[in-house]
Amino acid sequence: MKRSITLLLVLLLAMGALLTACGGSADTPAEEPAPAADTSADTSADTTAEEPAAAEPAAEEVTLTIGFTASQTGKQNVSSTRQVNGLNLWMKDVNDAGGLVLSDGTVVKFTAVTYDDESNTDRVQELYTRIATEDNADFLISPYSSGLTAAAAVIAEQYGKVMITTGAASDSAYKQGYTQVYQAYTPASRYLTGAVDLLASLDPDAKKVAFVYENSKFSTSVVEAAKAYAEEQGYDVVLFEGYDPETTDFGPFINKIEDAAPDAILGGGHFQDGSTFARQINEKNIDVKFFTLLVAPPEPDFADLGDAALGVIGPSQWEPLAAFTPDSAKEAGLDWYGPLGDEFVSRYEAAYDGEEPSYHSAGGYAAGLILEKAILDADSVDPEAVHAVLENMDLLLFFGHIKFDTSPEAHGLQIGHSMVYIQWQDDGSGNLAKQVVWPMEGATADTLYPKP
Amino acid sequence: MSGIRKYLGLILAIVVVLAMAAWPVINGKDITREVVFTMLLSVGLASSLNILLGYTGYVSFGHVVFFGLGGYVGFYLMAVHDWSLWTAMIAGGLASAALAFLLGKAILRLRGGYFALATIGVNEAVRAFINNFDPFGGPVGMSLNFQVYKNYGGGAREALWMSFYILVALTLLITVVTYMVRSSKFGLGLLAIREDEDAAEVMGVIAPNAKTWAYVLSAVFPGILGVLFFFKNGNIEPAPAFRLQMSIEMIVMVMLGGQGTVLGPILGGAGYQRLRGFLLTNPLFKNIQLAVAGVLLLVIVLFVPAGVVGWVRQRFPKLRRVLQ
Repeated sequence: MKRSITLLLVLLLAMGALLTACGGSADTPAEEPAPAADTSADTSADTTAEEPAAAEPAAEEVTLTIGFTASQTGKQNVSSTRQVNGLNLWMKDVNDAGGLVLSDGTVVKFTAVTYDDESNTDRVQELYTRIATEDNADFLISPYSSGLTAAAAVIAEQYGKVMITTGAASDSAYKQGYTQVYQAYTPASRYLTGAVDLLASLDPDAKKVAFVYENSKFSTSVVEAAKAYAEEQGYDVVLFEGYDPETTDFGPFINKIEDAAPDAILGGGHFQDGSTFARQINEKNIDVKFFTLLVAPPEPDFADLGDAALGVIGPSQWEPLAAFTPDSAKEAGLDWYGPLGDEFVSRYEAAYDGEEPSYHSAGGYAAGLILEKAILDADSVDPEAVHAVLENMDLLLFFGHIKFDTSPEAHGLQIGHSMVYIQWQDDGSGNLAKQVVWPMEGATADTLYPKP
Repeated sequence: MSGIRKYLGLILAIVVVLAMAAWPVINGKDITREVVFTMLLSVGLASSLNILLGYTGYVSFGHVVFFGLGGYVGFYLMAVHDWSLWTAMIAGGLASAALAFLLGKAILRLRGGYFALATIGVNEAVRAFINNFDPFGGPVGMSLNFQVYKNYGGGAREALWMSFYILVALTLLITVVTYMVRSSKFGLGLLAIREDEDAAEVMGVIAPNAKTWAYVLSAVFPGILGVLFFFKNGNIEPAPAFRLQMSIEMIVMVMLGGQGTVLGPILGGAGYQRLRGFLLTNPLFKNIQLAVAGVLLLVIVLFVPAGVVGWVRQRFPKLRRVLQ
């Protein structure tokens, strides 16, 4: 009896000790991020070069913290890494150039704080709370993918932190009453609407369109919006069919397409299914004038399909070829800001061992540029002033046109940027080459129409 | 005195949960709340799984299906039909319980590895179904309007704190339930099934019924927790709702703490998530945290199959009264 009471006492003491340890570590998490933040700044190619600052002793220097999570592990790893590379390059460019100088002489520099979100939502809110409250990030950048961004947006809104989203195309996150979230990407609802516009500009007589798409979150939301838009424009949707992501035989779908005899086919999903679909359409000699697929065509590997790739059109958030320049900005009546596309590509390749930037990389860089321009225009680092500038932002970057919806229903939704449409064409020597065919202000070639 | 001593195991378990819950309340930091939220969520899930895995000896590899399905049903009711969180949680729990009841009748006849495989199949099947079920948003999923949080205390911050307090209450409830099951006649029946199902039936335990109710009980709370988690998360999609890896983590937590004990899953869930959180934000381990978790499971299975609490109980029989 006595013994067990003694044992109990010992146990309670042990528990007490454990809890004290826990209590002690209550403060530790506050400190934990610091090394992580430092490391990320160190590893990200000397993002925070401090030397130029030392050369300008007159100005007061402010270092703003940009917080975000990256998918360092998990299925979003590749795209997320490219996005973060783009963002880090922007930060390095700004800091190397001596920071942003405001009218009162204040020099603004940037540092990053980041954690691994493992490509899943379990800890996104925990990590963003940490970034917002413990690391005191001044501005936030979204994780990669719409699902993670939706979870992070709740936290951004709660703490009133401006968050620029990139790599998050879904519309729904901007229709939930948020006021602090701004989207850099063209939303899913307009991913394919440009293709409909392109078709209209090419051939007013083409009226029958078919949608054949992958049954996944992204593709479904894209084609549902494109279908509604096409119907609005007076098109007759003769086929609307989803296929399973693992589909390898498109025979049944192609038979339906033959029966419906559309002028245009739109759809696809990701690389594997999209390229298989394109090849089988070619093998069966389907006579279609206009063929647009999601995701697959902008990939360089798509050219391996040979004849099957010729004439296929695909939407991309950004392409190295896209000729957005100060001149095209002038034509469109917009302000131009930031580096040219070529400059971005060469800097990126120099910074990351010759890796060609994808649109994810460009999106990361553009998110930084949007923030940079907003701080400069606000002439302040005050989040509210920056927020006010973002509300009225309307400019052209190498990434494209940036303008946000400010209505309460869809606040922060990107309404300026539009997709760039590429088409695989014959470069004259028998090889396939990607050309930008839409929008007009960024086009590098005329559209090959009808598709050969 | 003897009355209290009888419940020492329960009291200790409750004290541990309350101590965790008190941590953010005392320091008032939002980040601590988030850290403890993740820990308590795991404690709740692990304790629920423990009823099936620990008491009954049936390994469910697809237990996340109840978290996902409950979450989906509750989220649908909140987002589309404007139900309150409270009723949605109840509905989510009932939906999971109903699924477990039907499944229990069918797949609990399988034993050992066959049952484990079947549970994986069930998870995949339900995910495929949700992926093609338009009312639940199909592959696109659903989102909650930010304004919804204003109904719970005035703003998102209050709503997040409220979610935390609800989670604390739920975790305490789960703890009490697992304790009561363990010390009841029903629980003894389950333990008998774990040791030898045929012998248990000979001794008068109606195994099919007992197993089904254990399954239902272990499914109700994950369903409720799913609603709470996705309410706080703001959106739901098929992939994160039915993530098989989460099932495996739940098993790791139960085994780490000590399967078949009340305190085990509590320590296992909290300890595992605290460790993961530490590894994730620690620059040294950031990139190998999954490997560390894997090695941990291996070590436990090889050297301490009874888990932390089980090991202590074996080594120090005197503590058995307290460590239940």
